[in-house]
Amino acid sequence: MNAAVSESAAGAAAVPTDWFTRKRRRGNLIVSPFVPWVMVGIPVLILVAIVVYPTVWMAYHAFQDTNMMSLFSGEWTYVGWQNFATALTDDRFLSSVKHLIRYLLFGACLQVILGVALALILYECVKNSTLRITILILLVLPMMLPPSIVGVLWKFLLQANNGGFNHLLINLHLLPAAERIDWLSSKLSLWAITLVDVWQWTALPLLIVYSGRVSLPPAVYEAARVDGASGWLVLRRITLPMLKEIIAIAFIIRFMDAYKFVDHVSVMTQGGPSESSELPVYIAFQKGIREFQVGEAAAQAWLIFAVAAVLITLFLKYMKRVLKAQAIA
Amino acid sequence: MTHTNYRLVKTLLLLFLGIWLVFTLFPLYFMIVTSLKPVEEINRMIPTFWPQTMKVNNYAGIFADPGSLKSLVDSVIVSVTNTALSLFLGTLAGYALARWIRGVIGENLAFWILSNRMFPPVAVIIPMFFLFDSMPWGTDSYFSLIVLYLVFNLPLATWLMMVFFRDAPRELEEAAYLDGYTPFRAFFKVTLPLVFPGMISVAMLCWIFAWNEYLFANLLTGTTVKTFPVHIPTFTLGSQTLWNLVMAFSLVAMLPPVILFIILRRYMVRGLSLGVVKG
Repeated sequence: MNAAVSESAAGAAAVPTDWFTRKRRRGNLIVSPFVPWVMVGIPVLILVAIVVYPTVWMAYHAFQDTNMMSLFSGEWTYVGWQNFATALTDDRFLSSVKHLIRYLLFGACLQVILGVALALILYECVKNSTLRITILILLVLPMMLPPSIVGVLWKFLLQANNGGFNHLLINLHLLPAAERIDWLSSKLSLWAITLVDVWQWTALPLLIVYSGRVSLPPAVYEAARVDGASGWLVLRRITLPMLKEIIAIAFIIRFMDAYKFVDHVSVMTQGGPSESSELPVYIAFQKGIREFQVGEAAAQAWLIFAVAAVLITLFLKYMKRVLKAQAIA
Repeated sequence: MTHTNYRLVKTLLLLFLGIWLVFTLFPLYFMIVTSLKPVEEINRMIPTFWPQTMKVNNYAGIFADPGSLKSLVDSVIVSVTNTALSLFLGTLAGYALARWIRGVIGENLAFWILSNRMFPPVAVIIPMFFLFDSMPWGTDSYFSLIVLYLVFNLPLATWLMMVFFRDAPRELEEAAYLDGYTPFRAFFKVTLPLVFPGMISVAMLCWIFAWNEYLFANLLTGTTVKTFPVHIPTFTLGSQTLWNLVMAFSLVAMLPPVILFIILRRYMVRGLSLGVVKG
């Protein structure tokens, strides 16, 4: 009894500021101890059934030569690492990985940079608060739209001959009147998808960073103003350092969403023309559900999954740190 | 000198903001305009930026078309059921994680649940496709969509409800216990009202994600059940797409999330940032 008490006291002392144990005292649970486990257990079981089970199923089939016929007959043979070898030597898959890197670099990264810039410009330079909120809502609108509709809308706008976007550029004299840019050609299709992505998702970092900026303490800025600090100095030495974590979290959320996002590709180009805008996730879907090469699709899915697992582990570690720091403050 | 510099910089920044605003709004404007045009005007070589013959009969056409209406109803059924399920399960689990299951186990459990939301769904959907295909209800059913949307909504709801419950002071609950409340009653009478704004934001986010979902719906359903994103390709007849109907239908379908967002923007920032930013 005594030992248990001192042990729990020592445990509490070892991690006094832990975000998950702070202010939480043990031993006053009134309900039966298994009730909380049931409350958490149901969602966990559901997630095991719809996420973990499929992932394990895929891990098994990544080493089999499963295809449509064998799924019907229930017969497949073990082929070792062959499916992974096929995936990693497949030019189509490898070029899609290159597409993904370009898409994340110019998509997700650009969105965060633009979002931060726009949020800070909006907050600092627009003084009328009604106008500011109106602009904020208008800028954030694209994020709430269904990605499938955004894809269809931009497919319509980016038509080469009578598309609205080309003619907007012509009317603004950014493009010669006789010229037409074929946005969805094999040369530009991935750029077009990146453009649409930037249009839709810059709003997310913008909204997050704007809200973060609103919640910064005004006293610090007052002090900086009294000290005569220039706007550039305030931005570099106060605003950005204080928003560092929020910007990082916005980047993490956007990056992981972009990593798995194929709606625009699926709606606008279907990977084409001639596979120029395919992303790894899209190829795995096609292989698995359209071509029924389940073994190869499983290997590709697992490669995608493994990279995501590494990234998510790192990101969640960082997020844990940020949340703990917040709970102390 | 520095003063003029400052004003110049400020003007340039505002100009950039203005350009971005135009870039953001132009597609939406063009969408509305297109939805009001007859199809002949859309197919011209030079698109008109203001409709020469304005008509609202595209919208009348949408509401007279049983297929379009059914797809909207299907979307409502799937998204509302999924949201209710996610919110119910997420609230209970979030409460347990915030109050009772703590320490290393609770922490890792919470982050594991959240990590499910971030994984690419590619490893999920291919096996589930074949699993549901072999089940009596098949892939093309409300059940399959409602269950699969839990993949992204259940982790989100659980995680966010946990964050909100952690913010609600435990002392009030303990006071209720001292007054003789049962844990059940204390939960409903004391804690739940405190996290009610949080529940609204979780419900809205889950609903918007379920409403907007395209990939699962496209791969699994299409005949018996047809959510609105899957319905849009049916406006293409042969080689001609009836863009006026596509745009009118899209505007009808995207209006609910937009209105919700404008009304409940304040409550959504916290959820969108996974609880990090207190909006």
